[in-house]
Amino acid sequence: MHEFSGNGNITLIIQDGFHMDQSSPFSLSGKIFVVAGASSGIGLAICHSIVKAGGKVIGLARREERLQAMVNELGKENASYIKADLSKDEDITHVVDQIPEVNGYVHATGIIKLSPLKFLKRETLEEIMNVNYFSMVLTLAEMTKKKKIKKQAYSSIVLISSINALVGSKSNLMYAGSKGAMSSASRVIANELAGQKIRVNTIKPAMVDTDLASDVQDLLSKETIDKDKESYPFGYGTPEDVANTTVFLLSDASKWITGQSFILDGGWLNLV
Amino acid sequence: MDKDAFLKSFADQFDDTDPASITLDTKFKELEEWSSMVALMIIAMADENYNKKITGADLRESGTIGQLYERISSR
Repeated sequence: MHEFSGNGNITLIIQDGFHMDQSSPFSLSGKIFVVAGASSGIGLAICHSIVKAGGKVIGLARREERLQAMVNELGKENASYIKADLSKDEDITHVVDQIPEVNGYVHATGIIKLSPLKFLKRETLEEIMNVNYFSMVLTLAEMTKKKKIKKQAYSSIVLISSINALVGSKSNLMYAGSKGAMSSASRVIANELAGQKIRVNTIKPAMVDTDLASDVQDLLSKETIDKDKESYPFGYGTPEDVANTTVFLLSDASKWITGQSFILDGGWLNLV
Repeated sequence: MDKDAFLKSFADQFDDTDPASITLDTKFKELEEWSSMVALMIIAMADENYNKKITGADLRESGTIGQLYERISSR
C-alpha cells in the first residue's frame, strides 16, 4: 500500500493490486460460486476474476493437477476443487452432495471437434453434446433438486455458450448445435427459477485465445487465421474479457438481468 | 496407407472436378474448386480413413497431393 499526502487535507491511498469496496454492487464479497471447467481457459480466468472481486470459488474439472494449481494460485482460503467429469451422472451426484449452498454456478466446460456434415458420426456427436450440453442441464437439475442454489438472493447462473450458436461456421455443426441447445435451455431454466429469484444468463463469446481455439487454429492456414483476425475491430478476445462479464453477471450489479444472452465479439458481428 | 487409395479418397472430396484429372502430381491448391470447405473435407477424410491428423501446416507446405501423402504417411 502506498500513501501520498498533498498540501491540503486530502490523503490518497493506493492499494497494491486490485481492491473492491465490499459495499459495491459489483463486489462478490461473502459469496461462493461453483465453476465447471475451472482447470483452463475461460473457466480458469473466471475463477481468478471471482476471487479478485472478493468471492470464493469451488472449481470442477477432470484434470486434478490443474485444479490443484488453481487452488495454489488463489489460496486455500479463496478456492477449493472437486475432481469431476460432469459427463458422468455419478460425478454430478458426488459434486452436488459435496458442495454447500452457493450463490451461483458457471458452466464453462466445452470441447470442440470439427467435421463436415457428411463425415459426422453419432458417437462423436453424442460425445460433444454430452460434455457441452447434457452436463450443464443435468448438473443444474441436481443442484436445484437438492436446493444448492441460494433462493431469494439474486443468485446467478452463467452459461458460457458461443457465437457459434448464431453463425454457421463450416464443419462446426456439433459444437454449434451444443451451444445453441445451451442458449435455448437457458431461457427455459431462467423462467423456471425466476420465482426463486435465481437468475440465468448466457454469454456468447466469439474467438477467444485459449487452448480450445488453438486446437481449431492448428487445422487452418496462417492466412486464414490472419484474415479472420482482421475482421475483429478489437482483435481476438482474452479469457479475462469473458471472465469480467461473468463477474458482472454473478454480482448484484446485474440483479435485474435474467434470461439474457450477451455477445462478446470485439465488434466482429455488427461492425461492418 | 495405400497411395492410390489415398488419391481416390482425395479426389472424392471434389464435386465438380473430374476425378480422372486429379493425380499425385496435381497442385491441389491451384484447382478451381479448392476451397476452405474442401480442405476441411480432406482433413476429415484422412482422420476417418487413416486415423491421420492433417494440420494447416501440412496443407500449406505441400504443393502436390503426392507431397501431402508423403508428409502424412510417414507418421
